Amino acid sequence: MKRSAILGAMRQVSTWMLILALATPLLWMALTSFKPESELFAIPISILPEEWTIEAYRLLIEETAFLTYFRNSVVVAAATTMLVVVVGALGAYSLVRFRYPGREWIAGLALVSYLLPSLVLIVPIYLMMVAAGLANTLASLVIAYTSFALPYSLWLLRSFMAGVPEELEAAAMIDGASRMGAFVDVVLPQALPGIISTALFTFILAWNEYLFALVLVNADAQRPLTTGVMTMLVSGFNVEWSLLMAASVMMSVPLILVLAFLQSYLVRGFGAGAVKG
Amino acid sequence: MASITLDSVTKRFGDTCAVQGVSLSVPSGAFLSLVGPSGCGKTTLLRMLAGLETPTEGEIRFDGEAIDRLPPGRRDVAMVFQSYALYPQMTVAQNLAYPLRKRGVPKAERATRVAEVAGMLELEPLLQRRPRQLSGGQQQRVALGRALIREPRVFLLDEPLSNLDATLRTHMRREIGDLHRRLARTMVYVTHDQLEAMTMSTHIAVFDGGQLQQIGSPEDVYHRPANRTVASFIGSPAMAFLDAEAEDVGGAAVLRLAGHIVAALPRMPARRHMVVGIRPEDVRVADGGIAARVIGVENAGHEAIARLSTTAGDIAARLPAGPAPRAGDALAILPAADRLHLFHAETGARLTLNPRAPSAAVAPSALGHLQD
Repeated sequence: MKRSAILGAMRQVSTWMLILALATPLLWMALTSFKPESELFAIPISILPEEWTIEAYRLLIEETAFLTYFRNSVVVAAATTMLVVVVGALGAYSLVRFRYPGREWIAGLALVSYLLPSLVLIVPIYLMMVAAGLANTLASLVIAYTSFALPYSLWLLRSFMAGVPEELEAAAMIDGASRMGAFVDVVLPQALPGIISTALFTFILAWNEYLFALVLVNADAQRPLTTGVMTMLVSGFNVEWSLLMAASVMMSVPLILVLAFLQSYLVRGFGAGAVKG
Repeated sequence: MASITLDSVTKRFGDTCAVQGVSLSVPSGAFLSLVGPSGCGKTTLLRMLAGLETPTEGEIRFDGEAIDRLPPGRRDVAMVFQSYALYPQMTVAQNLAYPLRKRGVPKAERATRVAEVAGMLELEPLLQRRPRQLSGGQQQRVALGRALIREPRVFLLDEPLSNLDATLRTHMRREIGDLHRRLARTMVYVTHDQLEAMTMSTHIAVFDGGQLQQIGSPEDVYHRPANRTVASFIGSPAMAFLDAEAEDVGGAAVLRLAGHIVAALPRMPARRHMVVGIRPEDVRVADGGIAARVIGVENAGHEAIARLSTTAGDIAARLPAGPAPRAGDALAILPAADRLHLFHAETGARLTLNPRAPSAAVAPSALGHLQD
C-alpha cells in the first residue's frame, strides 16, 4: 500500500518534470516577447520581465508586413486543409467502396509517393509551377502542400471508411438518399475522427512548412509566416530577438487554438458502435 | 402495397452465378419468405428487389411496372437489415424521421409520424437515445419503425431476427406476423430459419445454389415438396431419406422398404429404385414393423424425438409423451403409408405417385413370404 503510494508520487514527479522540460522553451519564448530590448541580454538573467511591455507586438503589427504574412499563412493552410480533406475523403471513399481495375495499385502508389523525400520533389515542383505560371503565388504553395498531405490522408481516411458498414449506406439509399447524400449523412459522420486527424495533420504541415515556401515564393507580399518572419527579422548581422519571440508567440496561437478546438471532437467520435454483432 | 413479379432474373458476379433464372410472382399483400442454406442467393435476390444490385438478366416488376433501373430511393421499398443498420450518430427519433426527411416531409408531419410509430412499437421512452445505448431487441424495433414510418409499397426484411435470443425471437416473430396482418402490405422476408418461414408466410420460395427450387404456400412446401432439396430443408427434425424398391406382387404395385411392404402404389413406376422421404411425425411404433435400434433420444417433455437406425438408413421419429425409449433399445416401426414422399433416385425430383396403405391381402402374405 505504502510502496504503491511512493511509486505513484514518483510517477507524478517525473511526469511533471518532463512536461516542464518540454514547456520551458515555449515559456521562455512567451516571457522574452514581453521584455524590453534592454533586458534581453541582461546579466544576471531574470526569468520574469522586470518591466512588462507589448512594444514588440505593437512594432510587429504596426510597422512590419507581419499581418500580410499572417494572412497568407492562414489562406494557404486553410485552403490546403480544405482541399486535402475534400479530395482525400472522396478518394478514400472511392478506394473503399467501388470496384475498378487498378484500385489497389492506386492506393499503393499513393503510399510510395509519400515515401519520397521532399528534397527530391522540390526542383520538379518548382519547374512545374514556373511552367504553369504559378511561381510566386500562394496557389503554388497550396498545390505543393496538398501533394505531400494527400497520400497520407488517403491512407488514413481509407482505413476509417473501411470501418463504416456498407449496410448503413444501403439503408440510407433505400431511405431515399442519393449516393452522395448517403456519403454525407452516414459515412462522413462515422469517419469524422479520421477527417479531423487529417485536417489537423494538414493544417500543421501547411502552417509550419519552410523549405518549399522559401523556394517557390520570392515576392514579399506572397510570403507565408515562416519565410516572411525569417527574412524580415533574421539577417546576417542582426537578429531582432524580441520581435522574433513575439512573432513566434503569434504564430503558435492559431495552432494552439485549432488543436484545442478539434481535440475534443477527435475523442468524441471514437467508440460509436454502429452495427451489432 | 404491390404485387411482385420476377421474370427470369439472373445475377452474376464475375464467373459466379449468385441467382440463376428465377421467375416468380406473388400477389399484393403477400408475405413471401425466401429460404435456403447460406449462399443460396436469397440475400442477393432481396438486394436486387431493393435496388442495391442490378440483375444481369431478367426483369423485376412491382404492380407490373419494371423497376430494375430505378435507384433504391425511388422504388418505394423499405428494408430491415440483419445488422439493423441504424445511423449511429442520430438519436432514435432522428433515425425514425430520416426516410421522411429525405423525402421532404415537413417537420411538423415528421414529428407526428415519429410519435405514431414510436407508440406502435413502444419506443417512446427511447426516442432521445442513440442506437448504441439500446439493447438488441430495442434496436430491432427501431429498425422496424424506420421501415414502417414511410408506409412503403414493399417491405424487405433480411434475416431481421437472427441476432436476437430465442425468447425475443419468438416474440418478434409474432409481432411481425401481426404487423403484416394489420398493414396488409407486401413483405419479402429472407431467413435461413424454416420455422420462421413456415409460421409467418403466405408464400415460401426455397432456393438452393442460386436456383428457385419451389414456391408455394407453407402447406405446399411442407406436404408436397418439389424435390429432395426442399424436403430436406423444410421441417425440423429433417425428413429421413431411405432407399426403397417398387415391386409387383400378384399384379399390384407395392413399395418395399427395409424388407417390408410399407405402401401400395397406384401403378408400377418406370424405375423400380427410388428414394422415400419420411417425416418424423409420420413414423409410429408398430409390432411387426421395420426393426430399428434407438441411437439417441431428445425428450422435450410433450414429445420425444428418437433417432433410429434401420437396415435402410437412419430415421427420426416423433414419439408422443410417455415413457420414452432409451439409447440401445430395439423397436419396430412403420411409416404412415399415405404420407410417404417418393423421389427420383438420381434427380431427386418428386414422383407423382400417391402411395396408400397396402391392402390387407397383400401385406401379410408378402411379410410372410419374406420371413420364410
